[in-house]
Amino acid sequence: MTIFLKKFGTTLNGRQFGKESFAAFEPSLREVKEDEPVQVDFEGVVTFTPSWGDEFLGPLFNRFGDRLLLKNTKNPSVQAVLKTLVKIYGKDFNKE
Amino acid sequence: MLGVSIQTLRRWDDSGKLSSVSRKTSSHRHYLESEIEDHIRDNIKELDLFKIGRNWAADNMGAEPFSDFYCSDISVFQARLTRLENELSELRRLSRIFPLISAISGEIGSNSFDHNLGNWPDIRGIFFAWDLKRRKIVLADRGQGILATLKRVKPELKNHQDALRTAFTEVISGRAPEYRGNGLKFVRDVVADNKINLFFQTGGALLKIQKNNSKINVQKSVIHLRGCLALIQF
Repeated sequence: MTIFLKKFGTTLNGRQFGKESFAAFEPSLREVKEDEPVQVDFEGVVTFTPSWGDEFLGPLFNRFGDRLLLKNTKNPSVQAVLKTLVKIYGKDFNKE
Repeated sequence: MLGVSIQTLRRWDDSGKLSSVSRKTSSHRHYLESEIEDHIRDNIKELDLFKIGRNWAADNMGAEPFSDFYCSDISVFQARLTRLENELSELRRLSRIFPLISAISGEIGSNSFDHNLGNWPDIRGIFFAWDLKRRKIVLADRGQGILATLKRVKPELKNHQDALRTAFTEVISGRAPEYRGNGLKFVRDVVADNKINLFFQTGGALLKIQKNNSKINVQKSVIHLRGCLALIQF
């Protein structure tokens, strides 16, 4: 499964918005098969913040662990947030 | 509200730049809110946004700021943040770092909402203004401040200076009930890695961070604020 973050918006900021985004998408995660990778595609995202990222990526990371793969992470705000989240979670993300 | 001294107001009144209403029965000058708002709109390029935001956050009497600078809730803030992002993206010299400037503005602003939702002491919402010609963004709130919110997970914090230092330096576990510090460490790292300066104040404590100098030197401030105040320069 691939999750296209631009479908949530291009300015991804704030815990409330992050929580709402994850809650809205969670039912779709039931379709993910055992051992199926889950890709998160950042293409098109302009502004990405740790508050939104923690609320959305945190639960995905806990649920899918090494099956989670991040794509198109070149945007500087995406890179900076991932650096922060790695420090908090104590574990790196798999990136394409 | 205007970020100017009483002497300046007197001068403006005498010159007709901003006239007060009739003061036959009082020695105080009174102004119509609509006239002040018109004055701000007409002179926005000359105003010191930092002073306006600071005065608003420090004032003993809480009042909603000028509407163009006021985000009463997170949805207004999100909309204005997108507008800022668009305006920043048009500046060629910022083409590489504008998402970072937008991200730290977003993180500071949304922190104010996240930590004060349902608990605003007087005025709900934040002050959010920018002047891209002078390369500055100002955010302020009249919330509880960092000390009150961080004390919930670190009761040993004694004062605003301790709280501000903790918020910008200590990683708090990702699933702790209080998240404030993690966003501010992101802000610190972004500022230290890029041509961005940050002034941040909460209560009676302030700090300044700039490129290649992320050392946290918290100082006591002269002016005491209700909540938080941030100035981002780039």
